[in-house]
Amino acid sequence: MRTAVEELVYRSCLLLDEQDFEGFLALCADDFRYSVEAYSPEIRREMVWLDHDKAAMKVLFENLPRHVSDPAPLSRHATVYTVGFDATGKRATVVSALQVFRTALDGGTSRLFAVGKLYDTVHAIDDGVLLAKRVVRLATRDLGIGSHIPL
Amino acid sequence: MPRTAAEWTERPRFPRTHYVDARIYSDPTIFGKELETIFARTWILACHESEIAKPFDFRTFRHPSGQNLVLVRGDDDSVRTFYNVCSHRGNVLVTAPSGNARALTCAFHAWTYDCRGDCTGVARRKEGFQDRLEPHGVGLRAVRTERSPGGFYWVNVSDDCGPLDEFLAGSLGVLEPHLTEPLEVFHYQKVRLRANYKLWHETNSEFYHDFLHYFNRVTGMQQPGYFARKYQTFPNGHVSVGSMRVRYDQYGGSADRIGWPGLEAGAWFLVDLFPGMTFNLRTSVLRIDTAIPIAPDEVVVELRGLGLRRDTPAERRLRVCDHNSIWGPFGRNLHEDFLAVTGQGLSLRDHRTDTRWLLHGREEAGTIHDETGLRHYYSEWALRMGRSASDPFTEGTIE
Repeated sequence: MRTAVEELVYRSCLLLDEQDFEGFLALCADDFRYSVEAYSPEIRREMVWLDHDKAAMKVLFENLPRHVSDPAPLSRHATVYTVGFDATGKRATVVSALQVFRTALDGGTSRLFAVGKLYDTVHAIDDGVLLAKRVVRLATRDLGIGSHIPL
Repeated sequence: MPRTAAEWTERPRFPRTHYVDARIYSDPTIFGKELETIFARTWILACHESEIAKPFDFRTFRHPSGQNLVLVRGDDDSVRTFYNVCSHRGNVLVTAPSGNARALTCAFHAWTYDCRGDCTGVARRKEGFQDRLEPHGVGLRAVRTERSPGGFYWVNVSDDCGPLDEFLAGSLGVLEPHLTEPLEVFHYQKVRLRANYKLWHETNSEFYHDFLHYFNRVTGMQQPGYFARKYQTFPNGHVSVGSMRVRYDQYGGSADRIGWPGLEAGAWFLVDLFPGMTFNLRTSVLRIDTAIPIAPDEVVVELRGLGLRRDTPAERRLRVCDHNSIWGPFGRNLHEDFLAVTGQGLSLRDHRTDTRWLLHGREEAGTIHDETGLRHYYSEWALRMGRSASDPFTEGTIE
């Protein structure tokens, strides 16, 4: 089970790297919730920078071709730190370290885009595991030009 | 048809007020002059009152002229600003960007200051300075500070400046009826871009670039009233832009927004303030930008999102969601604007480039795609700099 959970986290990163958004959403439960959060020491407040359910994530991905976006790809490097199971063994909370790099198309220089952690909730289903919730907790708050694609 | 090298560098066939020499975005001497004649003498927005809500709250601010400042709410509820520098050996006094402290203590040699800028402690003063130094002679450097409607705190590092009201010259008047309730900052981001600060402010000062934003095209440009929006100019280089009814429901996944006190549904007002601040009230959220020049080809943009202090958690969630949809770091419009401005930065920052002229030539009776906002900005720039932006290396060329 732990291996399946870890592979789910890694697969989610690979699919987003490949911009296979349908594939990513297929890893998510129907009640999936995704958010990006950060704490601002400047205003001493928690900030939410994205907060979507699965349907809103789908719309976000579908709208992407209509927008002007940075074509430089993002590469996500996750390391699963801890996996904790509830009493039923069917629900896991997962903490992973996350680093995201942006690679320029011209010249291929890779630069750090963001560091943070993934706080995932994973549900076991009959034939595998699904992401029920993902909170991307960013330490980096200067994201430069930002991104249209979630982390 | 494509142009030859000579044709490429010919002056545009426009009045000289309708284009600028691109070297104003890269030349270090121009940049130095801007810091000295504009930023060191101009009111700059430093923070909002919700960031320093309680007595002894402090907030640091990196002033565009290069000074590190700290704003402090005193025990008398007054907000004062000081250089964030210890009078002793120049160490930065406050290292956290914000906090609450009854005394500002320099970690280096333990000199202390109170919330009014008085030096209240010099460690082992008698032993080292005997009677040669008194605390009252080594207080902090005070900086002029004023509050504008809505709770915004402005600073001016020049002791000789006029009052804030005189500088704003009524430009925020279009917003003031909507700034009557206490506000609260819920979003803060500081973004470093490789581009001249003016390029960022220019993007905020013209709407012709709505072609860049799919969101703005479907919710604004294709809706009634868009091309009737008009610019209004104010003294000191400021402009405001009239409202329309934005149809947020025309963007997939978007919906009509919750309101804002006194604002009609879908309303959108914008005010651009010289030399690099923007107030942008879009129905449910107020966004404030402050451009802080770091180098000729580098700017830090401070971005704030504000809601109402009385918001319920549900209302705040909606405002935050509205803000993020276009203006957050993963929002649709902010990323597109940053791409355009860093693209300009890439083209213009190399001194060897002979890309020489940027046009501000659109005239559409002051309506939304007129570039009057840019021209008005550069008329003020020219006055302050003593030279025209289309001939920036010749003093006295003001058109």
